[in-house]
Amino acid sequence: MSHTGDKLLIDVGSTYFKVSTPDTIEQYFRDFSKDILDDLMDRCGDVISVYDKSDVYICSSANGGLSTLIIGVTNSFSLKYATNIAFNSGINIIDTILYQDIEEHSLPSDLIDVVIIVGGVDTHANLFAQPLYHYLGQLNCSNIVFVGSSQDAPQIRDNIENVAILPTIVDEKLHIVEEHLKEYLTNLYQQDIEGKEDIKNLYDITSNQIFATPYIVNRALPLINARYSVADPFILLDIGGATTDIHYSKDLVDDNMVTENEYDRLVFKRLGVYKSRQSLILAAQNNEFVYELLMHLKVTENILVEQSEKATKILMQLAIFLVLCKMSHYQKSYINLKLLAINSIMLTGGITKVLTIEEIEVIIAFFYKKILTSDHNPVAILDTNYDIWTLGAMGE
Amino acid sequence: MKVVTGVVGNDIHVVANRLIDLSLRARGYDVFNLGVNTHLEEFFDAVVETGAEVLMISSLNGEAEGWGREVKLLKARYKTIDDLIMMIGGNLVVGSGNSEEIVARYENYGFDLVCHQVDLNTGLDLLQALLKERNIT
Repeated sequence: MSHTGDKLLIDVGSTYFKVSTPDTIEQYFRDFSKDILDDLMDRCGDVISVYDKSDVYICSSANGGLSTLIIGVTNSFSLKYATNIAFNSGINIIDTILYQDIEEHSLPSDLIDVVIIVGGVDTHANLFAQPLYHYLGQLNCSNIVFVGSSQDAPQIRDNIENVAILPTIVDEKLHIVEEHLKEYLTNLYQQDIEGKEDIKNLYDITSNQIFATPYIVNRALPLINARYSVADPFILLDIGGATTDIHYSKDLVDDNMVTENEYDRLVFKRLGVYKSRQSLILAAQNNEFVYELLMHLKVTENILVEQSEKATKILMQLAIFLVLCKMSHYQKSYINLKLLAINSIMLTGGITKVLTIEEIEVIIAFFYKKILTSDHNPVAILDTNYDIWTLGAMGE
Repeated sequence: MKVVTGVVGNDIHVVANRLIDLSLRARGYDVFNLGVNTHLEEFFDAVVETGAEVLMISSLNGEAEGWGREVKLLKARYKTIDDLIMMIGGNLVVGSGNSEEIVARYENYGFDLVCHQVDLNTGLDLLQALLKERNIT
């Protein structure tokens, strides 16, 4: 069992919360009729009360995080770089718009938490004009940030109210510059979490900053080898109640980005086994291989509408399969990973409490055989203590 | 004057790419070098991001032949690079061929200046002459 000194670590998820003491990790299914703090104190108030506020560390991914719309001038540089930074900051991307096509682009109906405008190296100017201001004028958004050419910044400031101006994310070598935008987005995420009443109340039991869980998990990745026998390169699938996160090593991607970070993260927002159950079922029904997989698992498609322990298990198995499909050449997505190069697939999240290693391996083998037509079989590793996040939480 | 340069397609002839980079800088150009193994879309995207007036593609193993056919189609999708000067140089075919035919073929692909098996300095002189002819400073 992990030893975390005299710290008490708490992770508040959308479905479960986890409490880690030096001796044990417990997880609890959330009671949604209660405030998070009340729920937490009801279940483990006796443990929490033992710790000083300065020894309690909390992270949270509850309530889904922020949404962003990115407007950029090219696919290969500005949009690609901003998308990468947004994902790594834990932000959900609603849409990306190529600026030259902005007049033909429809307006999203939802409120956007942050709009990112990007384009141009510092030696270029006049990349944006009236069509941008007209589009933004119709948009319902809370924050706008500009990370394009510094020569365009004054014009942008004059035409867009309350815009935050940061240095460009495309440098003179056309390489990505992550830090300023990443810090801005991470701070927004942080403010969003802290602004939620439920989360604010948690400061009654901690005097430390409450971090976003994806940030904490990403921080844990370089430390994973210390606790698990993971063969590089590996991917980490965090299949939770509302979303599925994939954390992966940069070696697994072919692209033109040179960054200082070793790992990236990708979020599939509506692919969870509890809160996003219906959209997971819909995604399964739209995948032509799923029926064959169900047959392979010796069940029929009726299992998708059942409410039973067996049905939950099958849904979790399907979630693994669908996520792997989304990362492969089978489905063109933001990133396609070199899945044949992977030696380990690590799984964390609620899934580790429900599926056995054998039940996971059967899915991985099916995926590699059917989709990648290969006998390659990476090792599956389960974070059975559900404690990868504690590595990141202890990181500082 | 800004120039975007690089080696197109699955071509890793990095030495020539470095020489082009150095020679362009020596002549006073601002160079945005995308290096080897560059896709056509990345060249055009780099032009948009930098505001370059010249796109100079190099190819040493005939790789450009396949990609060249896509140039007009792809360039037509961009709304802001109509005035771009497009130059290609290197060994533009696999094996040997009639130089005049090869130049005509590449001009038909949409290149303003085609330097098949022409030495680097001569090619850059030709570029300077073309820029002067079009009053681009």
